[in-house]
Amino acid sequence: MAFNLKYLEVVRKPNPMTTINPLKRGKGRTVDLQDRVDKLNKNAAWKKTIKKWTEGQKLFDLDRMPKVSMEELGMLDIDEDIQRELDEKHCANKIANPDLFDPALLQPVICIKTSKGKYISIDTQHTVSTIAALIDAGLVPGVTNWKEFKYAFWYIETDNLAYARKAFGILNGKGKKKQSQYQQLRTSVFVVRIDKDTSDQEDVEAEQMVSIAEKHTCFPVEEDSDLLKYPGTFSNVSIFKTLSANELETACEWHNKYFHYEGIHVNLFFIYRDLCREFGAAKLPITDQLKEELAALVQCLFGNLAQFAESCKEAHRLHHKARHGYQGNWNDDAYACALVQLYCKFGGQEKIAPTLLDRFDGLVDFFDADIMSLVE
Amino acid sequence: MSYHLYLVTSVGGRAGFGIATDYHERNKHYASHSGDIVTFSYIYSGLRAHAKALERTIKTQYVDNIWMVDDWRTEWLVKGIPMSDLQAYVQDLIDTRHYKLKLLAKDYNFTQGVLDTTQIQ
Repeated sequence: MAFNLKYLEVVRKPNPMTTINPLKRGKGRTVDLQDRVDKLNKNAAWKKTIKKWTEGQKLFDLDRMPKVSMEELGMLDIDEDIQRELDEKHCANKIANPDLFDPALLQPVICIKTSKGKYISIDTQHTVSTIAALIDAGLVPGVTNWKEFKYAFWYIETDNLAYARKAFGILNGKGKKKQSQYQQLRTSVFVVRIDKDTSDQEDVEAEQMVSIAEKHTCFPVEEDSDLLKYPGTFSNVSIFKTLSANELETACEWHNKYFHYEGIHVNLFFIYRDLCREFGAAKLPITDQLKEELAALVQCLFGNLAQFAESCKEAHRLHHKARHGYQGNWNDDAYACALVQLYCKFGGQEKIAPTLLDRFDGLVDFFDADIMSLVE
Repeated sequence: MSYHLYLVTSVGGRAGFGIATDYHERNKHYASHSGDIVTFSYIYSGLRAHAKALERTIKTQYVDNIWMVDDWRTEWLVKGIPMSDLQAYVQDLIDTRHYKLKLLAKDYNFTQGVLDTTQIQ
C-alpha cells in the first residue's frame, strides 16, 4: 500500500509578528509612577477594592510600615523554625560564584525587631551568611570582623513569631506575583540583546533558542497574549526550554515550511523532541520525505496540529480504557507515537524508529472512524 | 458520518458560528432558546476534524471580531460585522487551507427537516 496523502501548499502571507515581536527589541521607554497610578484608577478590579476599603473604613497605618537602618551583622539571629536550612551549595555556587558575584545586587536583610531589640531574620539568610563568610575569609578589604560590619536591615517591629513565619511565606512566593516563564525568558533575551551582556551562559543560551525560533518565524509570547492570534506564536515556554537547539531547529523549520499560517500548538515541541531523540538513538535520519509526508498526514486528516492533539487525546483516552479498563492519565509521549503509527497505517514507507512504534500499540485504531475510513 | 460547521444569524441579525453532528437538532435548540425561527445562513459538511480545526481557527485568528460578554468569549461576532464577511472569511479558509468541507445548504432552518446529502454543492 502506497502513501497517497499529499501536502497542498498554502499561500504565505506576511506575518505581523516579524515586525511587532516584543522580544526583538525593548519598548525603549520608561514611564513615571503616575502612569501606573492612572492604570489602576481606571481598572474595574481596583475600583472594587477601593470601595471595600472605604466601606470597611480601612486605612493605611503608617506606623506598620517596615523600617530601614544600618545594623551590625552580629545583631542578627536566624530562627531555624522560620528560615529554611542553610543551603551551603547555594551560597558557594550561586551567590559567591566569583564569575557572578556583584555586591551591587545584594539585598537588605529582611527581619523582625523584637521589643527586646533582637533582630530575627525572616529572609535573606543566604545573602548575609555569604557576606559574613567572605569577610571571615579576608576577602573584604578594610573589614576584619564581620560581626561589626554594618549592613542594611529592613525590619518590622513585632514580638509575634507567627507573624514572622507568615511574612517569610509571603516573601518566598505565597501571596507574591511570580514571574512567568515568558517574563524570565524575556529578561534573559533583553540582557543579551539590549544590554549586550553575555556574562551569564543561561541568558546566552536562552537568547540563542529564541533566535532559532525567530529564524523560522516562530515567536514565544506571554500566556493569554493578544498576539496569540498571529501565526507562529506559542506561549508554552517551559516545554520550549526543554528542547535542544537541534530539536528546536527541526521543529520550527517544519512548522514554518508547512504550517506557517497556524499558531504553534505545544505538541509540535513534544513531537519533534521525541522524533529527534528516538531517531537519533536508532541512528536513523528524519528524511525530508518523512517530514513532508507527516505534514501531509496532519493537513489531510486533521487540518492542523491543534486538532491532531485533540483527536490524539481522545484516541488515547479510548485506547487506555479499552486496554486497561479504567480512565488513564494523558501522556505527552503519545503525540509522536500516534503520528508515526498513523503514518505507517496510511502506507508511509520511510524508516521509523522502532521504539516509537512499540509504545501505545494499537492507539491508531481509536482515532475517529471518518479518519480511519480514509485508509485505502 | 458527516460533521457540520454552521454560520448562524441570530433573530437580531448578529452573525455567529458553531459545529454539530446533527445540524437539524442544533437548529431546533437555537429556536427553542430564542423563541423564534433561527437561520443557519450556511452549513458546511465534511470531516469532523476539519470542521473542528476551522472553528478553532475562527476562535483564535478571527478573535478581534468575537463578541465578548465580560470575560466570556462567545461564538457570536461583534455587532456590525455582516454575515457576508464571516462567510467570505470561512470560504477563504476552506479554499486556501484545503479543509475538506463543502457547502451543504444556505438559509436553513429546522422546518426544512434533514437535508438530502446529495444536495451538497
